[in-house]
Amino acid sequence: QSAGGEAMNENKFLNTDSSTGSVEATVKPLPFKDPNFIHSGIGGAAAGKKNRTWKNLKQILASERALPWQLNDPSYFSIDAPPSFKPAKKYSDISGLPANYTDPQSKLRFSTTEEFAYIRMLPSDVVTGYLALRKATSIVS
Amino acid sequence: QGCVDHPVVLTEAVCNPLYSRQMMSELLFECYQVPKVSYGVDSLYSFYHNRRQNWPCSGLVISSGYQCTHILPVLEGRLDAKNCKRINLGGCQAAVYLQRLLQLKYPGHFAAITLSRMEEILHEHSYIAEDYIEELQKWRSPEYYENNMHKMQLPFSNKLLGSTLTSEEKQERRQQQLRRLQELNARRREEKLQLDQERLDRLLYVQELLEDGQMDQFHKALVELNMDSAEELQSYINKLSLAIEQTKQKILQAEVNIEVDVVDSKPETPDLDPLGSEQSLEDVESINEFEPLFAEEQPEVEKPVAAVQPVFNLAEYHQLFLGTERIRAPEIVFQPSLIGEDQAGIAETMQYVLERYPKEQQAVLVQNVFLTGGNAMYPGLKARVQRELLEMRPFQSSFQVHLASSPILDAWYGARDWAVEYMTREEGWITRKDYEEKGGEYLKEHCASNVYVPIRLPKQAPRTTEALAPSRVLASSTGNPCEQA
Repeated sequence: QSAGGEAMNENKFLNTDSSTGSVEATVKPLPFKDPNFIHSGIGGAAAGKKNRTWKNLKQILASERALPWQLNDPSYFSIDAPPSFKPAKKYSDISGLPANYTDPQSKLRFSTTEEFAYIRMLPSDVVTGYLALRKATSIVS
Repeated sequence: QGCVDHPVVLTEAVCNPLYSRQMMSELLFECYQVPKVSYGVDSLYSFYHNRRQNWPCSGLVISSGYQCTHILPVLEGRLDAKNCKRINLGGCQAAVYLQRLLQLKYPGHFAAITLSRMEEILHEHSYIAEDYIEELQKWRSPEYYENNMHKMQLPFSNKLLGSTLTSEEKQERRQQQLRRLQELNARRREEKLQLDQERLDRLLYVQELLEDGQMDQFHKALVELNMDSAEELQSYINKLSLAIEQTKQKILQAEVNIEVDVVDSKPETPDLDPLGSEQSLEDVESINEFEPLFAEEQPEVEKPVAAVQPVFNLAEYHQLFLGTERIRAPEIVFQPSLIGEDQAGIAETMQYVLERYPKEQQAVLVQNVFLTGGNAMYPGLKARVQRELLEMRPFQSSFQVHLASSPILDAWYGARDWAVEYMTREEGWITRKDYEEKGGEYLKEHCASNVYVPIRLPKQAPRTTEALAPSRVLASSTGNPCEQA
């Protein structure tokens, strides 16, 4: 299949160490690479000589937003799914069953009395863990 | 040879940012000297691979990967990029959710519940419920639970009841730490003492200059020391001597206390007083690190007493019981509110995308709903999607759901098919010449690619040269400069 192409995956973060065959360490000269190449991404305003300032996703999106898009153009941030219109169903934090009740002290949801007893016995870090899982931790402590 | 001399087919994200494509093209063309490159979307390659005779056809591609899930309407073989939607949930988030659930349920096995084990559980023991609420009701009954709960056996480890050492070893460790802290503080004090002594000597020397009557040298020295008058010098000298005295006293006191500590090793009540009397900041910090250590010790004391009586089943202790977690973890792509995400799930997003089309096109799209991607391998996904479509489509309308023949690898097979077919043709390939003329973010569209929006990015200049003036050329964006067969 030497004539065929090779499919690689480029994910969101710049994956620059994907090469077609040279997997050697950086000590040996890489046979596929042009030895005089300096990636233009190296130059950054605040970068030192050794640093490559790759932008992370937030920076990339921020600079993409600043480009002159038209209203209907598809771009990475315009295809984000919209927030849900339906109210979220409540499930118990412990067992996942549909939960009708909430513990006023710890704000965890539960569905049976055994679960309630279990919740009341939990140490506080586990409680915060469950709430963080649901992103329900209060901002003001 | 310094180059790669065959064409390369790459997959990229849906609506890949121009900057990313520019970076990638630059790498390929400049560094690896690739002759020509083609970019495409992986789920569309998968769609292409699974095509039937009536290509180009339309359909709704739902591709759920490791990081995100896309819903892509495809019209006549081309991606309709305006109406795509992406949900930022995928296999990775499901694995993390499962991991946290199990870690909170079994806090003793915190370290043993790793992400790779979670992925194994997801691959082999999880499924998607056709009707989530109904499944949960089934799980309520104890017999169902007993029959369907999966027990995961963790490898044996010596850790029991959350304590890693016996209590004697813990005391030993605590005392070692105490001793180390004291040594550190003593050393710091000695150094400070030395520095203060030197400074005091210097100031005394300057004072002597004054007493000897050498006014010029005295004034020069004063200026060097940043002081204004002899009185200031005197006050500095006094303060320094006081500080030196105090440090010396503290050293003496600490030495006495170290001996006291080593002699009487009291296991239960940690003796914080020798450290507590120090006023300096460094010591306060080290005390603060110490206190949580001491606070933990107290509850451990009661536990070893209680655990002696019941017969301890070691095998069972190292087992994780998976009940409803089997369906909860993959459910997050359908109900992101389980994780706290406020995006809509697959079903609602499908409905949203479909509603952006007129009714006839909706019917056409729904005839060919295509599921692909690694995260689509759960048993029960197809049935679930069919059920959701049944709920949202008008009464007695038809729809068809297909699963990719091999959801994980189909993207590669599709890319290979495309490459083999288009190898000698010109469409779809970006050659080196195109790259040089039109910049790194140029994209040639083909049946499995993104839509190209012709916006020029300013070329990033390397560090040594000046930045080029940004050249933003906005061509008339009519949308698709289509160059396919």
